[in-house]
Amino acid sequence: MKKKKLTALLTAMAMMTGILSGCGSKGAESTPAKDAPAADGPAAAQEDAAAESDSGTASAGDAQPVTIWYYWENEGHQMTLDQLIQEYNGSQNQYAVTAKYVPFADFKKQLSIGASADELPDIAILDSPDHASYVDMGIFEDLTGKFDVSNYYEGTVNSCTVDGKLYGVPFGANCLALYYNEDMLTAAGGSVPTTWDELLETAKALTTDSVSGLAFCSVQNEEGTFNFVPWLWSTGATSYDINNENGIRALTYIQNLIKEGVMSKECINWTQGDVMNQFIAGNVAMMVNGPWQIPTMQSEAPDLNWKVTLIPQDAQYASVLGGENYAVVNGKNVDGALDFLTYATSGEKVKFMMDQFGYISADKTIAESQFAEDSPYYPFVEELNYAMPRGPLAGWPGVSDAISLAFNQVITGTATPENAAAQAQTTIDGIVK
Amino acid sequence: MAKIKKFFRYENVGMLFVLPAFLYMLAFVGYPIIHNIILSFQDVNAGNLVKGTRNFVLFDNYLELFGDSVFTTSLWNTLRFTVSCLVFQFIAGFALALFFSKRFSLARPVRGILLVPWMIPITVTALMFKLLFATDIGIINFLLRSLHLIDKNIEWLTTPGTAMFALICANVWIGIPFNMILISTGLTTIPKELYESASIDGAGKVQTFRRITLPLLKPTIESVLILGFIYTFKVYDLVYVMTSGGPVNATHMLSTYSYKLSFEMFKYSKGSAAANVLLVILLFVGVFYIKATTEGENE
Repeated sequence: MKKKKLTALLTAMAMMTGILSGCGSKGAESTPAKDAPAADGPAAAQEDAAAESDSGTASAGDAQPVTIWYYWENEGHQMTLDQLIQEYNGSQNQYAVTAKYVPFADFKKQLSIGASADELPDIAILDSPDHASYVDMGIFEDLTGKFDVSNYYEGTVNSCTVDGKLYGVPFGANCLALYYNEDMLTAAGGSVPTTWDELLETAKALTTDSVSGLAFCSVQNEEGTFNFVPWLWSTGATSYDINNENGIRALTYIQNLIKEGVMSKECINWTQGDVMNQFIAGNVAMMVNGPWQIPTMQSEAPDLNWKVTLIPQDAQYASVLGGENYAVVNGKNVDGALDFLTYATSGEKVKFMMDQFGYISADKTIAESQFAEDSPYYPFVEELNYAMPRGPLAGWPGVSDAISLAFNQVITGTATPENAAAQAQTTIDGIVK
Repeated sequence: MAKIKKFFRYENVGMLFVLPAFLYMLAFVGYPIIHNIILSFQDVNAGNLVKGTRNFVLFDNYLELFGDSVFTTSLWNTLRFTVSCLVFQFIAGFALALFFSKRFSLARPVRGILLVPWMIPITVTALMFKLLFATDIGIINFLLRSLHLIDKNIEWLTTPGTAMFALICANVWIGIPFNMILISTGLTTIPKELYESASIDGAGKVQTFRRITLPLLKPTIESVLILGFIYTFKVYDLVYVMTSGGPVNATHMLSTYSYKLSFEMFKYSKGSAAANVLLVILLFVGVFYIKATTEGENE
């Protein structure tokens, strides 16, 4: 009988194992093998990784490996990065660079797990608002004085600067601006809005039974916060000071957009990609989105007639700075990483990467000459002058969470703008102080 | 010599066979659990994850958690989600199992087809239900409107109350086949003779069901409910894809909130404390399951 009990106990334990390791095993599957990038991994990455290690071995027999992690799922982005790496590997034979795709949703998790398990890449190309958190974790190399960033947009440099030290190099810059469907605007007899009041009026004029006047991603996470802060900052409020007249006005404005029926509540479930799809499908007349959507929009909806303009202002023009930074992981192959970065951040290579990516260079001189005035990217370069970074703050994820909760409460009607602002302020004060 | 011989008696040899599995579990289950428990008593966050300066804070993480309204909501959500799902999927699964135990043409193939929801990857199911419940383009609103049951589209996934309902619907749809197939198997173990003699003695349908089917199915029902509880309580992917815990944290479960704390907000210790609450509840149910199954074997 005892034996039976034991067997039962073990079966039950085995069952529990499945439950508890549910999350863990998923992570393990996609954990990239550090030194054998082609061995196992997401199918998307396998192709490039294989191609890259080929070129790596071709160029050098005993070259030191340098690994890069990135999260671009866009095939064009992956191929461009691959091309840069192949050129680099072909140009010298001391280092062999390989890149590894880690899905965006897993990227933070993989970096954290990698940090505690000592399995990090040599270079990470990461989302700029997270940079400070990882610097705080102590995994990035101090790059002060190693790269000349004096000509870069201030916001991009700030996003990788902590306590006056430079811990990264901006990869590219982007920001949000307002896209509008020109045909719908002409048909409705509206003009391009420049203020909040005009925006609301125009959105009302554009809204029909099947078309929403305006949309922007309002998901309750960093992506949503990214899309909400331009409204907040336009009033003069800061990310850390919301419970005041300005912060409440921003929340009330969003509440009004929903109340007036010019923006769908569904925005809280739409990613920026979903918003773009609704826009090109003609379900949305205006949207706030970034320049990285342009290549897709041009190929998927070549006949759609749209333009880009600054996000309408309340007290001042404001947008939010996005983009990735390069960071070098300390205690690894730092020399190799620096050598590659010096190559990749040279003016010529930056220009090549930015043009292929549909990104705006973080380097002002390159950015200003990058696009012709009639290019759809051009308004984004202008908007960049008003774009501010989120953070940099090690506790930014917490602040971002409080902000995204606040506008979600307002959109869903579960709290008034006043209460939402007060609640967010309490959380933020607990983090910032 | 005799001692060694005595040691290799039948029962003990059995233990040796269990040993590899036991060691495996110790390393790959025991260690993570213990590590997680220790982690939950420390203060580990983005700042000291790598530096290794980990202070023990005893129950601070747990106290903080139970004072956190999102956590208490997610605990309550997990419970009501689990109980609602269990009730509906068990009743529907039981009814279908009884129905398909009748011999009629197509019974077997149709029962097979009904298993499909159980086999589809949960992410796919979640995306499907997300589209079904969409406000403007969802087919559910379309049907309700066409039947003139509603005049305005219901905002299923963007209103706290209805989002939970949508999640329960999706999970019940997945869970019905699981309940059905286990109960069907249980039904086949009941000897036909019992029903025959019952009908000779003049027992009615309801009486047969209450006096024969239910009592003889008791062990099966217990297993189905407890396994169902465990499978449902640890729900993660369905919620993550359909609502990500939203709107306004209204559908966070223990699992999704624990993930959010650890990997989105870098509060590793608080996240592991939340996971441990999940563990304690499941352990409790697990012990209950062991008791139920071993009692069944003793009879």
